[in-house]
Amino acid sequence: MKGLSEARLRTVLATAIVVLTAGPVGTAVVLGVAYGESPCILCWAQRTSMALMALTGLFVLRFGPRPRYLGTLVLLGLWGIWMSLRHWSLHMARDVGQGFAAAYFGAHTYVWAGVVHFVVLAVLGKLLLVLREDSVESGVRPFGVVGGFAVGLFMLVVGANALQAFITTGPPPFMGQADPLRFSWNPSRWVWLADDELGGAITLRGSWNIPEPDPAFVEAPADPGAGPLAAVPTLSLSRWDSVAAPLPGRLTDLAFDPAGDRFLAVTDDHGVVVLGSGLATIRHEMRLDPHFSVELTPLAGAAFVGDTLVAMATNKSYALLRADPDADEDHEWRHFVETSGGVAEVGRSRLSTLRARQMYISSVAYDPDADEIVTVSVPSPHHPRMVISRFARSDLQLSSEFEVHVDAPLALAGPDRSAAEFVVTGAVVAEGTLYAVSAAYSTILAVDLTARRLVAAWAVPGLEQPVGLALKGDDWLVAQADGRVAVVSRPGRSPAPPP
Amino acid sequence: MEFLNYLIILLAAWLVWKRPEREGLAFGLLLVSALIMAGLFLIGTHTSLFPRVNL
Repeated sequence: MKGLSEARLRTVLATAIVVLTAGPVGTAVVLGVAYGESPCILCWAQRTSMALMALTGLFVLRFGPRPRYLGTLVLLGLWGIWMSLRHWSLHMARDVGQGFAAAYFGAHTYVWAGVVHFVVLAVLGKLLLVLREDSVESGVRPFGVVGGFAVGLFMLVVGANALQAFITTGPPPFMGQADPLRFSWNPSRWVWLADDELGGAITLRGSWNIPEPDPAFVEAPADPGAGPLAAVPTLSLSRWDSVAAPLPGRLTDLAFDPAGDRFLAVTDDHGVVVLGSGLATIRHEMRLDPHFSVELTPLAGAAFVGDTLVAMATNKSYALLRADPDADEDHEWRHFVETSGGVAEVGRSRLSTLRARQMYISSVAYDPDADEIVTVSVPSPHHPRMVISRFARSDLQLSSEFEVHVDAPLALAGPDRSAAEFVVTGAVVAEGTLYAVSAAYSTILAVDLTARRLVAAWAVPGLEQPVGLALKGDDWLVAQADGRVAVVSRPGRSPAPPP
Repeated sequence: MEFLNYLIILLAAWLVWKRPEREGLAFGLLLVSALIMAGLFLIGTHTSLFPRVNL
């Protein structure tokens, strides 16, 4: 290979420095001064990193391609790509066109900065690949015409950046801000902040650090008398039933289908079991492959949607199953680790929410009147609230969402209490009302889905780790992780006929 | 701090240009500037050092 001499390399490099300096580093000043686009503290770091790459290029021009310069360039390039990813992450989940300041050529500047760092690394690799080692000189080199222009331009652009930095961020100890004001030559408009970015604890994941719930065990007080609501009426258990059939894992939810006179049970080991009405006979049984295509955390919710079975995981990913005598066992192998046959998976995807996007769930229900699937979020230390999300059956996209609060006629037991202390682990919808059982404080809640209000609550002493709620006739069936099912008569309904 | 950092960069570039015999000092300034830059970015992201999205 003929290669590139160092003399030729310096010309190419000087041109690259001119492009880097005049392009992103210089244009940024113009955008700030002429168009009022002041950089935030993260933008400043990205811009500075690009300036430092150009400066390192000047070192190479002056002193040759010494290893420490090349190493510095590689580190700056990698760090710049990381900065861009981190900065981009603040906005990447927003709707189209949204972001910080303006977009250019279809992307915002903090994204372009990452591209620039990537390109610099690519150019560096290319130049090193073609550089002829026998042409490398020693000692101080003259800049030459292009190099001289590059260093002069660099001094000018960096000086302009220093001026902009002084006006918009101030001298030390003041520093860049999260939401800087637009540039002004008028000192009375200058805002300098030293502690804008210093608040809050150092963490790796911040508000995304969400403990994953165990759908079969909630670590919370079970005593309904200690709950957050005042003067909650008590319901007594009518009797205990149990799931007599062996289940693959701990029971995490139960649903009843009156049309098919059958139950659907799901377990924390991705078991999905269709049971007869006596909870003793198994009609279909399968264990989902949780790693195929869509990751399924432990299953926490079961619901019948017509003839479709919904198995919902705590991460709001789901599998849709349907009884099918002609189900192809070989085709279903990809969906099921084990299956008794006769069931096909007809869909597997994820529900997306807004208010509950940083929250797990531990229940699912189907609202036949609205033809919607309903989920209830599990509170966490970062997100202490209860969010009810509703999804249209037609496309399984979010149709509405609201946070549950307590107001009249219900009342909180104290000023520091809230509905978010409940941990809903089972839910069912009937006549437009969502009934939800909370493992914390052993309470059944009633939420009017039209009025979006918590309208009633009943304490149910004697429950131990309730994980699911089904409705059969006028009875609530509260499933527990140990397979027992507490039967509770719905208040205001006629007594259930004897079994 | 950004203002100070650009002054350091400016000084390093001037040394490279006009005082090449002070290469060691100039390179040291470059490294100091890089550390300030990285430190300011970490200050701006210290409440969530990892990207604030679902990972």
